[in-house]
Amino acid sequence: MLQKKICMLGGFAVGKTSLVRRFVQSIFSETYLTTVGVKIDKKSVVLSDKTVDLILWDLAGEDDIGSFRLSYVRGASGLVLVADGTRAATLPVALTLRERAEAEFGAMPFVLLLNKSDLVHQWKISDNEINEMSQSGFKIYLTSALLGESVDDAFIQLASMVSK
Amino acid sequence: MDEPPNEVRHWLYSFVYNDRSVAYVKIDDQLLVAAKGGCVDHYGLSSLRIGESVAEQLAFIEGLLPYRDLPFHIPMVELPSGRVTDLHLFSDSACIWLLFLDATAEHDNKRRIQQKAYEMTLLQERERQLNEELESTNEALRESQEGLSREYQRSESLLLNILPASIAERLKTQEQIADNHAEVSVLFADIVRFTEKARSVGAEMTLAILNSFFKAADLLSERHGCEKIKTIGDCVMVVAGLPVSRPDHAEALAHFALELRKAGTRESFGGEPLRLRIGIHSGPIVAGVIGKRRFAYDLWGDTVNLAARIQTSAEPDEIRISDATHKLCGQKFACDLLPEMELRGAGRVQMWRLMA
Repeated sequence: MLQKKICMLGGFAVGKTSLVRRFVQSIFSETYLTTVGVKIDKKSVVLSDKTVDLILWDLAGEDDIGSFRLSYVRGASGLVLVADGTRAATLPVALTLRERAEAEFGAMPFVLLLNKSDLVHQWKISDNEINEMSQSGFKIYLTSALLGESVDDAFIQLASMVSK
Repeated sequence: MDEPPNEVRHWLYSFVYNDRSVAYVKIDDQLLVAAKGGCVDHYGLSSLRIGESVAEQLAFIEGLLPYRDLPFHIPMVELPSGRVTDLHLFSDSACIWLLFLDATAEHDNKRRIQQKAYEMTLLQERERQLNEELESTNEALRESQEGLSREYQRSESLLLNILPASIAERLKTQEQIADNHAEVSVLFADIVRFTEKARSVGAEMTLAILNSFFKAADLLSERHGCEKIKTIGDCVMVVAGLPVSRPDHAEALAHFALELRKAGTRESFGGEPLRLRIGIHSGPIVAGVIGKRRFAYDLWGDTVNLAARIQTSAEPDEIRISDATHKLCGQKFACDLLPEMELRGAGRVQMWRLMA
């Protein structure tokens, strides 16, 4: 049985829990309920040559990166970095969390999700910035946990990266 | 530090055990479940099978075992059962222990506080964003308002080129304008032998000379507080005492006439100075705006007709004024009385030559 631990990393209220719920249960709730500690979910992903069980650690988002508990990331095979496309400041938060995790546990595969793509008029991250990060090798997805847009694609991409 | 006495240790043990719903799972060196105990039901662990792989039965263990750096603990893990537990992992020589301590109450309390704090922060962020948007909308509004006011000023100044300012102002609110003015002076001036000379110097030169003639009339009108009403071919019509009446309208227009004539001598038209015939008459007129899309402010009445007749009767370089005009301003200027003359439509008319 192939099983991989994946951590959801990002600032608070960027949609980590909503993305997991959308991916695992295909539902979305408008109500914002902050995560404290960690919530663990499991979802099987069928790839072309194998099936991999993703153990999703949905970590509490922090408004203060300094207070982030690295111990949650122990044993992870991959990261889902999540930023809120309508709040530009959440992008550096996600990238910094990745740096801290990799400094402690070594490099690991990751995907970057710019969430809330349905809020087109409040969108704050420029195409230029996104293109630059893409060119530096980041796998970037503009996702909407509300509509389900690109959510499965992102998780399946990471599943195939971690099961290589 | 002394170990506490047995009574205290026993009390502490039973307190923690009951309050935190302690459960344990023992894992052997093959990473199989060796034993379980305590409040296993509380965490939904009763179905955990002894002798089978721990990682296949407890998803959250994935990646954590085997691990060198035991002991460690992971706070506030929400299990699929909905319980929140602090997880402790430690080992002895032969096996690994997994300890569950319930943290649901602490978790819920912490979440209540955290939720409020984050919601507050989100509101502040949203407020800031909305303020920024408001500001940029205001900026755009201000710009378009400035554009509008520039447009307005442009059309305003175009209108003022056609109509006297006070008339233009009234036209904005009034459909029709027709005013009686009891006392004004009307002047006509045209260029001597214009048609003939225009033919000889060509259209371009003619246009240039007309342009400087009418420009001079505009400039002098402004200087003497007169209104240029219109031009007809090479003829210009100027009035004083309109749209605001003034007692010295005849005098103002006489000054205007003298200076217009002087301006003509500085121009060259077909090899000689521009020579004018000028006529002035004073009396009552009706002034108003006619037309709907192309406005024209114009004057009507016998005073206007007679002024035109006097002008056509004038000699080259002569400023000819009616007796009525002379009565109003004659003392202030050098004037010669002309012999009475028959003018078409007006009978015998007494006129004066304004010299200086």
